[in-house]
Amino acid sequence: MKLPRITRRLVMLLAASALLLGLPAASAYASSASTGTGWIRLAHLSPNTPAVDVYLYSFGNSKAQTVLDHVAYGTVSPYLPVAAGDYSVAMRAAGASPTSQPVLSTSVTIQAGHAYTVAGMGPESGLRLQVLDDALTTPVGQSLVRVIQASLKQHVVTVTFGSTVLAANLSFASVSSYQAVLPGTNNVTVTSGSVSAHSTVTLAAGTVHTLVVLDGANGLEIVNLVDASGSGQPPTGGVSTGFGGTAPHGPGSPVPWLAVIGAGALLALTGGLRLRRDGLQPRHRFRAGI
Amino acid sequence: MPTRRPAALLSLAAGLVVIAGGTAGLLLTRHPVQPVRPAAGVAALPAPTGPIVAPPQPADPRPVPRPVSLTIPLIGVSTRLITLGLTSKGVLEVPTSTSVAGWYTGSPEPGAIGSAIIVGHIDSYLGPGVFYRLSELSPGDKIYVKRADGTLVEFRVTLVQIYLKDRFPTQAVYGPTPDPELRLITCGGTFDYATHHYLSNIVVYATEVS
Repeated sequence: MKLPRITRRLVMLLAASALLLGLPAASAYASSASTGTGWIRLAHLSPNTPAVDVYLYSFGNSKAQTVLDHVAYGTVSPYLPVAAGDYSVAMRAAGASPTSQPVLSTSVTIQAGHAYTVAGMGPESGLRLQVLDDALTTPVGQSLVRVIQASLKQHVVTVTFGSTVLAANLSFASVSSYQAVLPGTNNVTVTSGSVSAHSTVTLAAGTVHTLVVLDGANGLEIVNLVDASGSGQPPTGGVSTGFGGTAPHGPGSPVPWLAVIGAGALLALTGGLRLRRDGLQPRHRFRAGI
Repeated sequence: MPTRRPAALLSLAAGLVVIAGGTAGLLLTRHPVQPVRPAAGVAALPAPTGPIVAPPQPADPRPVPRPVSLTIPLIGVSTRLITLGLTSKGVLEVPTSTSVAGWYTGSPEPGAIGSAIIVGHIDSYLGPGVFYRLSELSPGDKIYVKRADGTLVEFRVTLVQIYLKDRFPTQAVYGPTPDPELRLITCGGTFDYATHHYLSNIVVYATEVS
């Protein structure tokens, strides 16, 4: 099959530019999805459970990929980027042998481009590892926020951001759904009966937060976790960052050269015609002279 | 008239020479012209010196100093960073100079949690711009951002992509991320001589080294 000339040229040009850049063809996947990476963070949110060592195992591998030592109540690790796949998380008493039987373990499937929080939750007597799906996108111009209720002293709390209720009557060891809020700096208030706590929190557009209610030394504490952050006002479309000074030039326009050839042809033609006329005229005259 | 003969001969000869010259010119300029790139794979600059900061903790985030300069040793990039906003049409501003890069102030600071955006030109009308060799980067290559307090943030490239501008993946590039990341953006792909714009953007994705 013979492609039309213009198509063949186009294909060659595209192939050449792809080769030149040494890059794969355009892709619309998120970067993390393209690289097969997801994120996991590990947390200790059980008020009366002593510090633990937290182990992250890639499924089927007995050697821990990551170990967080001496994780105390209220601690949340940064997100660890990990290859998508199946993992297990185990908790052992702080300082216990890595080969000892874990106090607790759970499995978690990490998808590319997704983030998870695995938290030890509940009272020590009913400790469990809970896997939470963390949000990575916000409605444009808004912030997402949810609440983890990890206070044992106050079993049921209500949490507000300014006048917005983020969680009403949230009971111990439970998590509210993410809620979209208008960005801004506001007072976060946690109330439980006559007990309350306050904190000033800034929620910027394009950010995702988790507020954790903890038992503090004196009353309740509020911890503001950043789950994810991006551009609050994402720019429209692509970016104009080139003027073409190094772009591969296509063949130059043939018009100037064709004009030169034309001018040459005209010159040669004129000369040729004159020669012919000059060559004929004397003979005419000669004949006329007879 | 015998004096006209040499003039006519000269005209004919000159005409033939011009035709030959024009034909040669036409044939010799039928091939595309490729730009010359410097040798790849050899670090063109040393890594900058300074205290490298640890990645941020997720709890109660503190303000992060603004970025002041960018170094990419492998491809010889060393530039101060200007600040960029959005145009009235919501399009990302670009540096007026093709030899400096800029940080979009609407994105997180490099080294804070989230996707920090830095933009630079691939070229000017005349020659290479600050991000001319950006597409030579590959996963694992190092990128350094110096901040106003003198500290350095070290990033490692995870992915290099090229996107058609009219199919630019806004969410992947500007959307939230849970860890400190960096995106470097420049132009690439085919240059459209009709509109005087490149048709694609090259995006380098990087994450902070912990």
